[in-house]
Amino acid sequence: MIDLERYPREITLRNGATLVFRPMRRGDVDRLWVFFRQVPPENKMFFRQDVGRREVVQQWADTLDYDVVLPILALEGDRVVGDATLHRQRTGWKQRVGVVRVQIAPDYRHLGLGTAMVRELRHLGEKAALHYLMAEVIEEQAAAVRAFEKMGFVRAAKYENFVNDQKGGLHNLLVLLYPMSSPSNDLRV
Amino acid sequence: MAGSDYHCPHCGAELRGDPRKGGSCSRGTPGCPYDRLAYAALRAGHDAIYFGSWRRIDAPPLEIRRAYHGIGRHLDAIGRELAGHDLPAAARDLGQAIEALRAADPREESPDALRLMDNALSYAHRAIDDLLHEKGLPPHAPMDFAEWYDVVEVPFRDEW
Repeated sequence: MIDLERYPREITLRNGATLVFRPMRRGDVDRLWVFFRQVPPENKMFFRQDVGRREVVQQWADTLDYDVVLPILALEGDRVVGDATLHRQRTGWKQRVGVVRVQIAPDYRHLGLGTAMVRELRHLGEKAALHYLMAEVIEEQAAAVRAFEKMGFVRAAKYENFVNDQKGGLHNLLVLLYPMSSPSNDLRV
Repeated sequence: MAGSDYHCPHCGAELRGDPRKGGSCSRGTPGCPYDRLAYAALRAGHDAIYFGSWRRIDAPPLEIRRAYHGIGRHLDAIGRELAGHDLPAAARDLGQAIEALRAADPREESPDALRLMDNALSYAHRAIDDLLHEKGLPPHAPMDFAEWYDVVEVPFRDEW
């Protein structure tokens, strides 16, 4: 179990804006749904579920279990401007691997929020005694790749023409790993 | 000591005037740019190396050796600060910095020495940013302090 006593915590961005980081609660459905509806279509097409549907977000809230999925929200007042999630498995061969995902509101990009959220996930991963954090990113999402690499994630694999968008176009998928058990292992491709 | 010269506790610059009033830099600019910032000494220590002349294309070996030892002292200072915090990610960054610095020993005349020293400094920067993040503060941006240094052309910047 990850200690969540550090939340809520204030984070100041490069432009001086102050946000609050805290775990998602059941009552966050509407503000999170509004957040996902603002995500541009070119970003939305890479989601695994149709986050434009309120019932999808409602289902997340209904099944909240921080030991499986820990969503950290970045809030400006009442508005969600960032969402970072740490996905874990309780059992099985990947129980020491945490999968991370980060989404930032369009008007909060290029302010260091993505990097701050990845830094937060890295801290949580260390506290959860994970061995690796893993991020899957479409190669074209250059800003996301940069944010992960800046935090020490390395490109572990590239699958060419591996995933398709909603229009059927194919894209390269990058798998980025942040090793927490043995930093001397060379994971670069 | 009012009215006499002294050194800034953060950046080491020679200051003049009354230290109780903040003094002024020898170049006439008021105060120290790091004054009142969190982890001022670590930021100043980083930037003094980051903007150092060892990064010039024509830097003599003596400058490079001096920078190498400067990075070592900087990493020691970060280690002392981290000893009081439970920040495993930052400790890992510091460990990587130390590993890179060891591999960069300029006495070995490694062709990668400069790049490895630069890597060590980048990992050190990340550890400082981890400390700042824990205080809810934005990362340290060396370029915000560039005007205080004789900035050299910084190699490898695009990659980091």
